[in-house]
Amino acid sequence: MKLYDYILSPSCYKVRLMAALTGVKLELRPVDFHPGAEHRGPELLALNPAGSIPILEDGDLLLTESSAILVYLAAQAAPEWLAGSKPEEAARVQQWLSFSGRLTASLGGARLHEMLLRPGDIGALQAQGIAALRELEAGLFEQAQRGKRFLAADRPTVADIACFPYVALAPDGGVSLDPYPTIRLWSRAVRALEGFIEMPGIHRLHELKPEPTVETGDA
Amino acid sequence: MRSDTTGSWTPVALSRDLPAGTVIPARIPAGPIALWRSESGCPTASANRCPHRGMSLSHGFVRGEALSCVYHGWSYAKAGNCLRIPAHPGLTPPEAIRVKTYAVEETGGVIWVAMGEPSSSPMKLEGLLALRSLTAHAGIAAIEAAAGAKAGPEGLVEPAEGTEAICLLLSAQENGETLIHVLLRGEAGPAARIAASRAAESLRRKAEDLQKKGIAQ
Amino acid sequence: MTMQAMIDEWYPVGLFSQLDQAGRTTTLMEEPIIVACDADGHAKVTSGNGRTLPVLVRYGHVWSSLGEPRKELFPIPEADQPGRRFVDVGCVRVRCSPLRAVENFLDIAHFPFVHTDILGAEPHTEVQNYKVEIREDVDEVWATQVKFYQPLAAKSASGGITTEYMYRVPAPTCSVLYKTCPPRPSEWDVITLFVQPLAEDLCDVWPWMALFDDVTSMTDLIHFQQTIFLQDRSILENQIPRLLPLDPGMEIPTRADLTSVAYRRWLKRHNYTYGAQLVAQ
Repeated sequence: MKLYDYILSPSCYKVRLMAALTGVKLELRPVDFHPGAEHRGPELLALNPAGSIPILEDGDLLLTESSAILVYLAAQAAPEWLAGSKPEEAARVQQWLSFSGRLTASLGGARLHEMLLRPGDIGALQAQGIAALRELEAGLFEQAQRGKRFLAADRPTVADIACFPYVALAPDGGVSLDPYPTIRLWSRAVRALEGFIEMPGIHRLHELKPEPTVETGDA
Repeated sequence: MRSDTTGSWTPVALSRDLPAGTVIPARIPAGPIALWRSESGCPTASANRCPHRGMSLSHGFVRGEALSCVYHGWSYAKAGNCLRIPAHPGLTPPEAIRVKTYAVEETGGVIWVAMGEPSSSPMKLEGLLALRSLTAHAGIAAIEAAAGAKAGPEGLVEPAEGTEAICLLLSAQENGETLIHVLLRGEAGPAARIAASRAAESLRRKAEDLQKKGIAQ
Repeated sequence: MTMQAMIDEWYPVGLFSQLDQAGRTTTLMEEPIIVACDADGHAKVTSGNGRTLPVLVRYGHVWSSLGEPRKELFPIPEADQPGRRFVDVGCVRVRCSPLRAVENFLDIAHFPFVHTDILGAEPHTEVQNYKVEIREDVDEVWATQVKFYQPLAAKSASGGITTEYMYRVPAPTCSVLYKTCPPRPSEWDVITLFVQPLAEDLCDVWPWMALFDDVTSMTDLIHFQQTIFLQDRSILENQIPRLLPLDPGMEIPTRADLTSVAYRRWLKRHNYTYGAQLVAQ
C-alpha cells in the first residue's frame, strides 16, 4: 500500500496514525506540498485530479478521501475500528466521519492560512472552527454520560482518528483549545493509545515514560 | 460579583476535568495558571509562566508529584520550587527558581483557586452536581439576562424555572468571555444530564445573542 | 522598541525560485512590500508607496531592507562549495518575536522534549559545557564545541550519534548552524534560519540548508527540516511574553543557555531591539 504523504498534512497524518495503530505497513511517497506544490503537478493530478493529498494506492484501488482510506485500513487489518452491528453505533461513526470534513474546511483552512500563508477569510474560518469544536465538545460530553469515552463507542473507531488531527492542531490556526475540557480528555485518551504516533505540532505525552534516573557526566 | 478579588475564591474547573497526572490551562483574576493534579491526586495551581524561557506550563506534563515544562523539562514541586533541570542532571536547582502557587480547594466537584490568603472556604454547593464547564463569548450581564436571574456574590446564578433545574457558576475570563460551570440539582441519570447539557448550550446561545445585540445597539 | 538600529539590515523576503512578475505581497517590519521579478528575471522589491527597495539574491532567497544597508550580507562560504545540495525549505509563519525564533534555534537543551527521538531523547538530556564568544572582528555571536546525543540527527544519519554543533549569529534575525555531517566527517552540514520580521511579534521563518547528502531525496530533506521547525513552532507561539525579554530579571538562564545570554547581550549592545522587551512588565 502506497501513501502519497506530506508530513505536515493532518489528513495524511490520519492515515499514518491509523496504520500505526492497526499495524498496517505503508510505503510512504513524500510529496513536496510546500513549498513545491507537487500535489498540483502532472504526476499527482493524474492520480487525483482534485489536487489533494493523501492518495492511497493499493493495486488498482486508488483512494483520495482520507475517511475512505481509514475505513479501508481498518477493514483490512483491524475491523474493531469500524462500527459494530448496532445501528446507533454505525450511524454515529458516519455522523463523525462526515463531520470531520467540516473540521478540515474550518480548522484546516485556518491552519493553512496562519502557517503556510494560504488565502482565506481567517475570521470566518476560525469562527466555523470554534462552532465545530463546540459541537464536538458537546457530543463527547454526551457520550461520556452514556459511559463511552470515544465518539461512537467505548472504544476508539475510525471516527476518532478522522476527527483527532485537525482538532489537536487547532492552535496552529489560531484557535485555542483551552475552552474544551471534554475534548482535552478525549485527545489525551487518543494520544495514550498503544501504538500512537505524533506529527509536528502534537507533542509526545512525556508522562507516559517514567522520569529517568539522574545520570551525570563528568563535565 | 466582588470587585476586590484578593483573598476570594475563583471556580476554575470541575474536578472531573482534571484527572490525576494531568495539567490544564485555567484563569484567575491574576492571570493564566497551570492547574495540575499529581499522581497521588493532589491539585495545585501554579503561575503559568516557566521562569526559564516563559513557556506556558499548562502545555507541560505531570510525572509523579511534579509539573514539568514541555520546553526544557524543568520540573516544579507543589510548593513551586524547581526540582530538576534536565540539562544539568547533577545540579540542585537554586531556591530562587520557583513558580508562584495559589491556594486550591476542591469541594462539590469544583476546583477553586484563591489569590492571597482567603479568610473563608469556598461556597458549599449543597445538593448540586457539577456537570460540565463551557465558555461563552458573553459577559456576565448577558448571561444573567439570558437566565433571567442575577448572580450571587460567589457567581452562582439560579435561572428561572423551565431550564432543566440547572444552576450556573460564573467566572469572568479575558476578552469579555465567561466561564460557565453548569451544576445540576440533585441526582440525575444520563438522560437528565444530557438534557441539562443541551439546556446549558441553549442558554449560552441566548446569552451570546444578547451580547451581540448589545454591541450592535 | 527602536526600529532604527535594525532598519538598515538585510532581511529575507522570499524564495528566489518562486519569484514571478505578478509579485508576492508581504510585509517587512510592518510595511507592506511587493517582491517580484522583472522581465529579465531580476528580483525587485517595492514598498507600499512605490519606493524601490535595496535588493540582493543570495542563499536561495531574495533579501531586502527598508533602510540603507551599509554592509554586504554576511558570508556563508559553504554556499559556494562544490558538492553541496542547497535546500529551500520554504516559509512558515509564526506568531512570535523574530528574536525568539532565533533564540530557540540556538538552543539545544529542548531537543529531548520538543524533538523527541529525533534530535534528542531522555535520559540523554545533559548539556556539556561549550564555548561562546562575540567575535569582535566580524561582530558575530559564535558558540563552538556544542555536543549533544541525538537519536536521529539528520536524514543521512543511521541511529544515534553524538553530534557536534557550531552556532553563529551574523545578523539580528539570522543564524547559521554547522553540524556534524554523517556522510563526510571532515565537513559540516550547514543549516540556517533566516527570519523575516513582519512585526515585533510576528515573523516568517525561512530555513535553508547546504548539505552533503547524495542519497536522500530533496523532498525528504525538506520534510525533515519542516518537521523540526513545526515542532518548535508550537513552543514559540506559547512563550510569554511574545517579545524577547532583554531585562535580565525576567528569565533565568543556566550554563546550557550561554549562547542565548551572549545573543541577548549582543542585541542589547547594538540596540537591536525590534521584537524585544526592554523592561519587565
